Amino acid sequence: MHIRAVALAAVAAALMLSACATSGLKFSEMGATMAAAQPDMGRIYFYRTALLGAAVQPEVRLNGEKVGKAVPNGFFYVDRPAGNYQVVTETEVEKKLTFTLDAGHARYVRLNISMGFWVGRVYGELIDEAEAKSEIASTRYIGAATTP
Amino acid sequence: MSKRSLRVVTAVIALFMAACAPPVTQLPTQLTPGTGKSFRLTRSAEADISTGHSTTLRANTRWELVGTVSMGEVYRTRDQVVTLRGDGIHEGYIVVRRGALVGFYLPVERAFCPVAQSQPLSIEP
Repeated sequence: MHIRAVALAAVAAALMLSACATSGLKFSEMGATMAAAQPDMGRIYFYRTALLGAAVQPEVRLNGEKVGKAVPNGFFYVDRPAGNYQVVTETEVEKKLTFTLDAGHARYVRLNISMGFWVGRVYGELIDEAEAKSEIASTRYIGAATTP
Repeated sequence: MSKRSLRVVTAVIALFMAACAPPVTQLPTQLTPGTGKSFRLTRSAEADISTGHSTTLRANTRWELVGTVSMGEVYRTRDQVVTLRGDGIHEGYIVVRRGALVGFYLPVERAFCPVAQSQPLSIEP
């Protein structure tokens, strides 16, 4: 009975891990191949390190436009003109992050997960560049960059 | 209601409360742009904005004047990310009056968020 339960748990864990797997290049491997943003644009990186709540992968909206998904161990980026930005993620509730972007600068948004009432809540958090660069290095590219 | 049911209800309410935070106070205000002043924060400061989350200003960060609001002068730094956390997260610039931190200016919302208690800042030019 115990062996059967362990086997079932192992299969379930394997299925969950395969669902989490991201296949793109690592951030640290892409560094040299990533084109720089145009001089009049800034760049916003989005990344998620936590595997906790891997099945919860809400859309990420930037000023109302879908720009990607909160995929565990994944990152993507968009280039945008300088200005004000709002990042929205929604599971059982809507979570918002607001920040400014300057031309020629990068902002880093880490997509965290916290406990919710029914399901986990994913929310964006603005992270210092040094900390973000260390965290994002091992995440994998999950989407094409877009420009407005 | 049995004691066990009461415990379950209490735990559910506690979980619900932990998952929710009050919004960051946002008092509409107008920023008059300005430049030409700066200072270095010599000691870290922790600001309570009455949401259950505090914001830390790190020591050895340089702050540049970006303008004024009716509550004081508004300074921004590139040495750290400054955010205010409530039910959402908002980038903030500090508002200083007579050498004390009195609140934050939210550039996206164009609003002022006061700190629970103003606190003197340790600064040098």
